[in-house]
Amino acid sequence: MTTPLGDVLDGRRTAETHKAARALLKEPLLLAQGPYADEFRLVRQHASVLREWFDRNTGWSLRLDAEGARLARTPGSLADPTHPAREASRARAPFTRRRYVLLCLALAALERGEAQIALGRLADQVTLDAADPHLVAAGVEFTMERRDERLDLAAAVRLLLRYGVLRRVAGDEEAYVTGTGDVLYDVQRRVLAGLLSARRGPSTITCGDFEERLAELTAESALDSDDLRFRAIRQTLTRRLLDDPVLYYDELSDEELAYLTRQRAFITARITELTGLVPEVRAEGIAMVDPQDDLTDVRMPEQGTHGQITLLLAEYLAASDGEVSRGDLERRVRELAAEHGAFWSKSAKQPGAEAELVGQALERLTALGLISHTAGGVTALPALARYAVGEAVVTEPGRTAPRSSRTSPTSQRKASQS
Amino acid sequence: MTPESSGSTGGGYAPFAHLTAPNAVLYRRLMRTFLTAKERFAVHLRPEDVYAALPPEHRPSDLDAVMKALDRLAEWGNLRADPDTSRVTAVEDFYRKRFIYQLTQAGEAAEQALSAYDEALGRRGALQAVALHDIVTQLRALLVIAAELEEGEPDAAKAHLALSALTGRFEALAENARAFMGSLQRTVDLHGVQVEVFLAYKDRLIQYLERFIQDLITLGGRIAVLIGELEQDGRARALLRLAAAREATDAAPEDAETAEEEAYARWAAKWSGLAAWFVSADGRESQARLLRSRALGAIPQLLTVVRQLNERRAGRSDRSADFRTLARWFAEAPDDEARHRLWRAAFGLYSARHLAVDAETLAQRTARPVAPSTPWAEAEPLRISPQLRRTGSYERRGRARRVTDRSEQRRELAEIAAKQAREIAAARARLATDGATRLSALGELDPMAFGLFLQLLGDALATWRPGTKSTVATSNDGSMEIRLTALADGTTAEIRTPGGVFSGPDHLVEITDLTGPEATYEEVHP
Repeated sequence: MTTPLGDVLDGRRTAETHKAARALLKEPLLLAQGPYADEFRLVRQHASVLREWFDRNTGWSLRLDAEGARLARTPGSLADPTHPAREASRARAPFTRRRYVLLCLALAALERGEAQIALGRLADQVTLDAADPHLVAAGVEFTMERRDERLDLAAAVRLLLRYGVLRRVAGDEEAYVTGTGDVLYDVQRRVLAGLLSARRGPSTITCGDFEERLAELTAESALDSDDLRFRAIRQTLTRRLLDDPVLYYDELSDEELAYLTRQRAFITARITELTGLVPEVRAEGIAMVDPQDDLTDVRMPEQGTHGQITLLLAEYLAASDGEVSRGDLERRVRELAAEHGAFWSKSAKQPGAEAELVGQALERLTALGLISHTAGGVTALPALARYAVGEAVVTEPGRTAPRSSRTSPTSQRKASQS
Repeated sequence: MTPESSGSTGGGYAPFAHLTAPNAVLYRRLMRTFLTAKERFAVHLRPEDVYAALPPEHRPSDLDAVMKALDRLAEWGNLRADPDTSRVTAVEDFYRKRFIYQLTQAGEAAEQALSAYDEALGRRGALQAVALHDIVTQLRALLVIAAELEEGEPDAAKAHLALSALTGRFEALAENARAFMGSLQRTVDLHGVQVEVFLAYKDRLIQYLERFIQDLITLGGRIAVLIGELEQDGRARALLRLAAAREATDAAPEDAETAEEEAYARWAAKWSGLAAWFVSADGRESQARLLRSRALGAIPQLLTVVRQLNERRAGRSDRSADFRTLARWFAEAPDDEARHRLWRAAFGLYSARHLAVDAETLAQRTARPVAPSTPWAEAEPLRISPQLRRTGSYERRGRARRVTDRSEQRRELAEIAAKQAREIAAARARLATDGATRLSALGELDPMAFGLFLQLLGDALATWRPGTKSTVATSNDGSMEIRLTALADGTTAEIRTPGGVFSGPDHLVEITDLTGPEATYEEVHP
C-alpha cells in the first residue's frame, strides 16, 4: 500500500540528479549568483555523482567551487555548425566574424587586466591588440570610432555579462554605443579562467590549417592501447548521444559503428540513468528523446508562427522524395499562408517574408538533425519521418497524414538487432 | 695620419661611430683590449700585442685586419697612433709603417659609456651580503674612534676614512638593492623572458635570497644597534663634524667658512640615509625591513612564475595568448560555419539538443517495443496535435499548455485515505472495552485491530516501572486511552489473530476510544 521510505528517497535523489545533470547539459556554466542559483545548488549537492559520471563516460571535467560550476565540454562531433555564439538579446542573432574576434580580444585583455575595467578602456586595449599583424593580414581592423563597431563590442561584452565573466557596476552599454558614456565592470576572474574548455591551449598549437587547428584543440593524448582507444570511442559516442538530437549510423567510422553495435544498450542505459532521456533506436540511427521536452535549445513541435511553419514545411519535406529547392519551399509557404495565415503573426504574412520564414524553419530542422543541405536545396533525413499529425486530421477531407513509407535516402546501416 | 681626425663623421660623437660600422664586433673587442690593458697600467700597445691579447676564437686570421681596424679607430678618434720608434728585428717590419696605439680621452669615455650601458641593461641587480659585514666592521671602527674622541685624542683622518668607507659601501648596497628590486620585478613579470634563462636565474636567485635574508636579519639588527649606540650623546654628530672639518681644510681659503658647514650637511644627510636604511623610525619602515619583506615576497611570486612555466610545458598555456590566438583563428576561419564550429569546440558553451517524445507515445512503445531494425519511416510516429498543426498552438486561444489536470488522481487518493480512516475507526471501535475487562476476554482480533492494540500496549508498557501495579497511557496520536492493571493470579492471556497467537501474563485492561465514530468520519472529509 505504501512505498518504503528508502525507495521514495531514492526516487527523489534520482529526480534531483536528473535535474542537476540536465542543468549542466543546458548551461555548462552555472553561477552561484544569478538566474541559475537553484540549479547550481543541485549540481553542488550531487557533484560527486555527476563528476564521476561525466569523467568516466564523456571525459568532460566538472569544475566546481563556491562561485560556480563548469562542465568543460568538448563536442563529440566537430562538424556541427548549428551551435553558434548568440547575442544575449532577444534577437539571439549568431555572432559574426568581427564579434567573435572582438570577444576573444576582449577576453585576452581581461585576462591581463585588473579586477575592474571600463568599457572604454577595454575598447582601447582591443584596438591595440587588433594591430596584430596576423589580424591585419586577415583583414580585421578595429578603430571603435564607428557606431556599428561599438555595437559589435557591446554585443561581445553583453555575452560576457550573460556568462558572468563581467558584472556591471555602473553605466550601460547603450550609452557607450551612442558615444555618450562609459560602463564600469567587475571582472570575475574565476569565471574567466574557466571559460575556455579546449583540451589544449590554442597558443600551443602551431599548425596553420583550420581543420587541423580544430582537431588539435580537442585532441586527446596519445591513445596507444586498445583500452584507451575503446574508451575514447565510447566517450565520443556518449558525447554525441548526450548532446545531439540524432546520431546517424552513416556518420560513424567503421570502428565506432562496430563498438556502438556491441555496446548500444549499455551506453544508452547509462545516459538514461543520468538524464532520463529515452533511446529511440531505429535502423538509421539513435535519437535520445526527451519525455520532459526541456533538455534542448531548439524545439519541435513548437507553438507560434515559426514553430507551425517549421512543422508544415517538415510535413512537406517528408512527403516529397529527394531534394527540394528553396524556391519550392518558398512557394509552399505562400500556399500555407493562404490556408493558415489567419493564425500567423503580422510580419509573417507580409509578402516577401517567405525567404526568411523558410530560412528560419530550415535552420531549426537542420539543428535538430532532421534535414541536410544539398547543392540544390535540402533533403529530409530519416528521423524526420518520426513526426505525424494525430488521427483527427486524417478525417479532414483532402489531407493525408505526412507518414511516408518511402525508404530513406541515407544508407540504412543497421545496429545490432538485439 | 693625424690623431685628431675625428671631424669626418661630425657631431663630436665620432668615437661612437664604430658601433654602427660593419666590423663593429671586432672594433669593440679591440677597444676592450685597450681598456683591460689600461687597468694593468699599460698605456701603449703595438698591433702585435693587441693581436695576441684577443681571445684565440675571436682573433682575425692575420695581423693586417687588426692593423686596419686600429687605423680606423684612430681615424674616429678612439685611439691615438704614434710612430713606433722601437728597434725591429726583421726587414719587412722596418719598411712597414709602424705605430703604437693608445686610448684617447674620447675613446675611453665612449668605452666607459658603453660599458655603463651594457651593465645597466645586463645587470640583474645583486644583493650584497658582504656589504653588510663591511658596514658592521666600519661601524665598529667608528665606535672606537668615537671613544677616542671622548678621551680627547681625535684622529680626524681615521674618522674620515672610516666614514668614507662606510658611506661608500652603503651607497653600493643601496644602489644594488634598487637594481635588484627592479630586476626582480622584471623577472617576475615574465615579459619576454625565455624559459631557460628564467630557470637558471631562479635557482641562483633562491639561494641568494636565502643567504641574503639570513644576513639581513642577523646583521641588520646588529647594524641598527650599532647605529643607535653611535647616535647616543651626539657621538655620531661629533664624528661627522670631525670628517667635515678635515674635508674643509682642503677647501680654497675664501670658501673656508662655508665649506665646513656644507661638508657637514652632506655628511649628516648621508648618515641619516644610512640610519633610515637600518632603523625604523616611527610610522616609517626602514629600508632594510622593506627590502627583507620584498625579498621574502619575491619567493611566492617566483613560485607562481615557476608554476606558470610548468603549466605552459604541460600543454596549458598563457590564457591571454590563448585568447589572442583564438581571435586570430576566428579571423582566419574560412566562413561563418567554421567559426561557429570553432566556437563550440573551444568554449563548449552550448546546450544539449534533443527531440521530444510525449508520454502517450512512450507508453505505447513500452507496451509494444519497436525493433531496433525498424526504419524511422516505418515505426509508429510521434503524433502531433492536429490543433497545433492547424493553428500553431495547442489551445484555441493561443495560451501556453495547460497545467495538467490532476483532480482524478486527487479524488483517488482521497478515496484511499477515507477507506483507511474507516478501517482504523472500525478497529478502534472493536478494541474499545466497555469498562474494565481481562486481556484474556478480548478474544480474536483482525490484523488492523491487533496492530492498533499492540501499539497501545507498547505505549502503556513504556510507562511501566518495576513495582508498578497499574498505569494509564494515551496513544501517540491521542485517539485512544488504555488503563492497564497487573493481576496477581498468574493466569495467562491469549489473543488469537489470523497471523498467530499472542500470549502473556493476564492483565486487567480498559480501552477507551477518545475520538468516537462521528469525529473520525469528519476528519477524512475536510
